[in-house]
This record gives sequence, structure tokens and C-alpha cells, in this order.
Amino acid sequence: MALINVAAREIHGKIVYYGPGLSGKTTNLQYIHSRIPSNTKGELLSIETETERTLFFDFLPIDLGKVHGFTIRFHLYTVPGQVLYERTRVAVLNGADGVVFVADASRDRLPDNLQSLRELAQNLTAQGKRFLDYPLVMQYNKMDLPQSLPTPVLDRYINTVKVPRFEASAINGKGVFETLRAISKLVVNKL
Amino acid sequence: MSQFDPEISRMVVVEEDQAQISACLQRLMADSGASYSMVIDRAGQILASESDEVRPEMVHLGALIANTYASTQEMARILKEDGFKTLFQEGMKEKIFTETVRGRWLLVVIFDKQSQVGMVKVLARRSSAVLANILDLVERRSTEVNGPRFRQVGKATIDTIDLLFKDDGCSDDE
Repeated sequence: MALINVAAREIHGKIVYYGPGLSGKTTNLQYIHSRIPSNTKGELLSIETETERTLFFDFLPIDLGKVHGFTIRFHLYTVPGQVLYERTRVAVLNGADGVVFVADASRDRLPDNLQSLRELAQNLTAQGKRFLDYPLVMQYNKMDLPQSLPTPVLDRYINTVKVPRFEASAINGKGVFETLRAISKLVVNKL
Repeated sequence: MSQFDPEISRMVVVEEDQAQISACLQRLMADSGASYSMVIDRAGQILASESDEVRPEMVHLGALIANTYASTQEMARILKEDGFKTLFQEGMKEKIFTETVRGRWLLVVIFDKQSQVGMVKVLARRSSAVLANILDLVERRSTEVNGPRFRQVGKATIDTIDLLFKDDGCSDDE
């Protein structure tokens, strides 16, 4: 739920990067953190396992500056993708205003993408959200890898709800800001 | 505990609300001897805060507490409990006590050894009841607030998003 603080002249929104393990959610936030000006971002907070897999979440606050006297702030989160952490994903999803579903475009990860997407739909529905109306964009990550599925195939299997989707190679930054721009606009449109 | 209303997609806090919330936090701090207090929403966003001193990284603290609280609700679900209403962290120098406000917001109090834990808990519970009444009104009114002003802000924000989030971002050294 977006918070509009007229007294402090601030508008806050929460965006969550969701998807199966190792699909590149954290990589998205790391790239964003490395590229946006230092005066528009806070520290990237990561709570990881010893093997640098996300344990709880990554958190990056970004500041769009003042618009009509209001400071616009987005809080970007990732969820832990490993199957074990399903209930942690529910916790992080709490109060989100929009979701980026980061799919791993690799051929052998298609079942994992579908399972994660099903779980996302269930979790949003359980939180009283209408999945089909919810601000959601998809990112087909790792499209640079030879084993990646072609976009029309990913569209057919993953993007059955026909939300905006972007091809990406997050490690190189391709598609990262395109995705962020799209979800930010969807969230703002809900104000 | 009231249920989250998913149809409310925004919460609008105006000056009068802020003043009432701040007054409640100030009273809590004065009575308990706490050094910091804040009200955050379920997303970890700070609605209001009061502090004896400048404290950095409170945005990160808000995010951590909100997610920790959300995790404890999942723990409660597994144990078939209705929910856990408080969190408590105890450090060598400071302690953090968190009390839910209607299950929709969190009241966070930071205090040191000068304050008694029991006293903070009692006063936080009392403050939570006061805040619940204020925030219920804020929430109800948020559904009625006219949109054009925010739509105008929203339109300008979209232009800013295009400018700031260019395809390759825009680092300092560019």
C-alpha cells in the first residue's frame, strides 16, 4: 500500500522482485545500486546465507527526488528464491505495491518459473489482492545464455496473463532499468 | 485485530494526523524515558518518528522490523496461533520493543537501561490503543481523499522515472 505523507511531503512505494532461486533478483538490485547516482539511493542491505544466497531479503531504498513538492521514494526488495523459504517470501511480499517477476530464461528452469509464478499468484490472492489487476511486470533474465528459451516460448508458458515483459541479461545490466521503469510507472498509476 | 483492507491502495497522512501521532510518540518517550520511537506500516515505511538525537539508517531499521514482524506472523500461523503482537530485541546498550497497532502498523520503541522493560511494554500498549484510533481515522479518510492532486503528482513522477531510470541508469561518473 502506497503511503502518501502530506505532512512530510513524501510518497512511498514498495516494489518486490520475486522469482525462482538464482534467477537474478539480487543481481537486478546490485546493478541498480551500482548505476544510480549516490544522492538518490541508500545502502543496499542484503541478508544472505554463508554461500551468498538470499536468506531473508535484499533491500534498496531509492529516492526519485522532489516532484510537485513531494519527495518520491521507492523501497526495492528481493525475496529468497529457494523453495525452502516459501513462508519468508510471504512475509516480504507483505504490503507490496508492485512485483517484478524475474524468470530464468534457461530451458531447464521453466518448471521452476511456473511453480514460482503459481506461488506468487496464490500469495497475492491470500493477501486479498486481485492477481489480474495487480501491478506486475516480468523479466526474462539470462537471455544472453545459449540455453535460453526464445521469447515467444516464454510468453506462451510464463506470461499467460500478458503483463509487460522485458528481455534481460541482468548481470550486464540489459533490461534492468527498462523493467524498473515499467513497474515504477504501474505503481505510480495506482496512486 | 482488524483485517487488512486490500481495496485501500494508499494511506494519506495529513498535517493534523502527523501532529497527533507525533504527540502520542512524544508522550510515550517522555513517560518511558525512551530515546526513539516510530510508527511504521507493514511495508516498513515510516509514518512518523520522534528522536532525542539524529539516528542514521532508520529507513533500513524500519524495513528490517517490518519484515521480521511479518515473519513472526508466519511462525504464529505454523503454531496455529492468532499472531504474535510484540517483538523484543535486547542488546548490551539498547533494546527495541515493537508492538502491533491493529495488526496493520507497528509502534517501535528504542530505549536503554535507564528505562524498565515492563514500563515500556505497558506504556507502548497504551500508546498503541491511542494510535489505533488515530490511524483508523486516517485509513478511513484515505479512501475518500480526492485523487486529482495526487494524479498530478503521479503524472510528473512518471516523467521523473523516465529521466532517472534511463536504460543504463546514470552513475555519478558519467
